[in-house]
Amino acid sequence: MSRVDPLWASVAVVTATALPAQVVIAAAYLSTEGAQRALFPDAQSFEVLTLAPNTSQQQSILAAAGKQAPHGELRAWTARRGDSVVGYVFVDEVLGRQDFITYAVGIGVDGKLKPVEILEYRESHGGEIRNKRWLAQFAGRSTQGELRFRTDIKNIAGATLSSEHVTAGVRRILALWEAVVKPQATGR
Amino acid sequence: MITLINIPPRVPLLALLAAVALTIFMSPTARSATQEELETKLNALAAEVTQLQAELAELKAQRNQSTSATAPGNPVSTVAEEPEAKLDWFGYGELNYSRPSDNRAATVADTGRFVLGASYRFDDRTRFVSELELEHAVSSAEDPGEVEIEQAYIERRLGDRIFAKVGLFLIPIGMLNEAHEPTRYYGVFRNFIDTAIIPTTWREGGLVIQGNTDAGLRWDVGISTGFNLSKWDATSADSLAEPLGAIHQELALAAAGDLAQFLALNYTGIPGLRLGASVFTGDSAQGQPGFDNNRITLWEGHARWNPGDWDLSAIYARGQISNTRPINLTLAGNPALIPESFFGWYVEAAYRATLANEWTLAPFLRYELFNMASSYASLGPGITPDPLEDEKVLTAGINVEIARGVVLKLDYLNFQRDNDRDRFDLGLGYQF
Repeated sequence: MSRVDPLWASVAVVTATALPAQVVIAAAYLSTEGAQRALFPDAQSFEVLTLAPNTSQQQSILAAAGKQAPHGELRAWTARRGDSVVGYVFVDEVLGRQDFITYAVGIGVDGKLKPVEILEYRESHGGEIRNKRWLAQFAGRSTQGELRFRTDIKNIAGATLSSEHVTAGVRRILALWEAVVKPQATGR
Repeated sequence: MITLINIPPRVPLLALLAAVALTIFMSPTARSATQEELETKLNALAAEVTQLQAELAELKAQRNQSTSATAPGNPVSTVAEEPEAKLDWFGYGELNYSRPSDNRAATVADTGRFVLGASYRFDDRTRFVSELELEHAVSSAEDPGEVEIEQAYIERRLGDRIFAKVGLFLIPIGMLNEAHEPTRYYGVFRNFIDTAIIPTTWREGGLVIQGNTDAGLRWDVGISTGFNLSKWDATSADSLAEPLGAIHQELALAAAGDLAQFLALNYTGIPGLRLGASVFTGDSAQGQPGFDNNRITLWEGHARWNPGDWDLSAIYARGQISNTRPINLTLAGNPALIPESFFGWYVEAAYRATLANEWTLAPFLRYELFNMASSYASLGPGITPDPLEDEKVLTAGINVEIARGVVLKLDYLNFQRDNDRDRFDLGLGYQF
C-alpha cells in the first residue's frame, strides 16, 4: 500500500472492536448443562433417559418426522423438580452443510416445545442459525402440523440447509417423544 | 461440547489373538508336532477362541451399558453415526442450451461447468475447503474450456461464533457469490448484476474474519488481493460486458502490490428476511507502469424475503474506478475505454410450489437494469466517450426441482435496448 487508506483504518478498527466482543460472547456459549438449565430453569435434576424404540415405533417416528439429514448422537434427559417431571431435554446432532450442528430441544410435560438452543456450530457456512429469533419460532409448538418448514418455521434466507435440517431434526425429536416418551410417561 | 462415547479399545483383543497365533506357530515344538500334539494344540486354540468370544461379548455388553448410561444412542436406526471420515467430497454443475430468438447460428449447447470440491477436517476447529472447476467441458490450447481453482482455503474456528479463513476464498458480496450453485438461483444463467457488476464467482486470496451474533448479524471483514487495471483490453468491446471480469486476477500470479479491503454485513435477525450490504475497495494500479491511484470500489445492498412460499429479492450494486483519465487519454480511439462508474439492480419474485410427489415448481420473474459504463472521466470535448444507455432485461422462467439437488430450468430473456439478444434457455443443474 502506497498511501494511508481510510478503509485500512476502518478495517483495523472494526477488527479490533469486534474481536474482543466476540471472544467474550464465545466464552459464554452453552454447555449441555447450560442448555438443560436454560430450557428448564425450574428443574432441580436431570436424569438420563434411555430410549429404545421398537421397530414399529421407529417406523412411526420416521413417517411423522419426514426427510432427515444425517444425524449424529442423540441424548435425552428427564427434567425433574422434586418427584415431579417438568419436561424432557434432547441434545441432538444434525448435519449442517458439511459438519454437525449440536442443538438442544426441550419439551414440557404439556408436550410444548421450548425455544431451540444451539450448543455448537462447527463451520462458517450457515452460522446464521444462531439467530435467537429464528430459534424462538419453535417455542409453544406441539404437533408436526405446526412444524412445517417455510410455512410455520421460516427459512433463513441464505442458510437454507442449516435451517431446514434443524427443523427436520426437531420434528424427529417431537416424533420420538410422541412415540416413546409420552406413552411411557402416561403409563406410569 | 459433547463428549463422545469412548469405544472400548480393541488393542488388547488383537494383542491376545496375536499372542495366541505366535504361541502356536512360532513354537519350536509345533514344527515337529505329532498328530496327537496337534490335536492338543487345536483344543487349546479352541479354548482360547471360546475365551476370546466370551471376552468380546463382555466388552460389547460393557459398551452397551456405557452407551445407555450416558446416552440413549440413536433412537432411529436409519440415521448415520458421527462421520469418522475427515475427507468430504461434494460437487455441482450445469449443462445448458441457449437459443437467441433471431439468430439460430448463435445457438449454443454447453457443459457450462463441472465442479468437484473436497473438504478435509484436520481437527474440530480446522478444515480445508476447495473447489476445482472445469468450464465448457474441454480445456486445451484449441478448446474453449477453463480449469480453475475456485476456492482453496483453511478455515479455523476461533471461538464459538467467530471464524477465520486464509487462502483463496469467495468474497462475501451480494447474494449469489457465496451461494453460486445452480440449485440456489433462478434462471438457467446467473443474473447480470451478479455476473457483470459483481464478477461472480469472485474469489481473492487473503484473510477474512467472520462472526455471527445471536441477534442475527453476520459480519465479514477482510484483506485480500484485488483487481489489476493494467489487464484492461481497450481493443475489445467485450471488456465493457463485464468491467471487473476483465481485470480480475483469480489469484493466478496476481499482481499484489496493492491489497484490497472488504466489509460485509448481513442481518437475518427477522426469520425469513435477509438484509445485507458490503463494500470492497482497493487500488488496482498494482504499481504497474502508467497506472497510479486507480482505486476500485464496489459496493452493494441486497434484500431477500421469504414470506411463506414466496422468494422475493432485490439488489443494487455500483462500481467505481478512480483516476482513469490519464490511462484513457493513452487509449483514446479504442472501442473500450475504462469506465468511471457502472451499476445495476434487479428485483425478482419467485413462488415455490411443492407438489405431492415432492417436486418443487418455482416460476419466477426478474427485472434487471444495468449499465457497464454509466460515466467516463472527462477527457475533453470530442474525446470523452458517451456513457452507455441503461439496458433493461425482463426474465421469466421456471425452476423445477425433481429431487433435492437436481433442478431443471427454463427461461426467456427479453432485452429492452439490444433485443437481438432476446433468447430462450434450457438448463440442468445439480448439486451434491
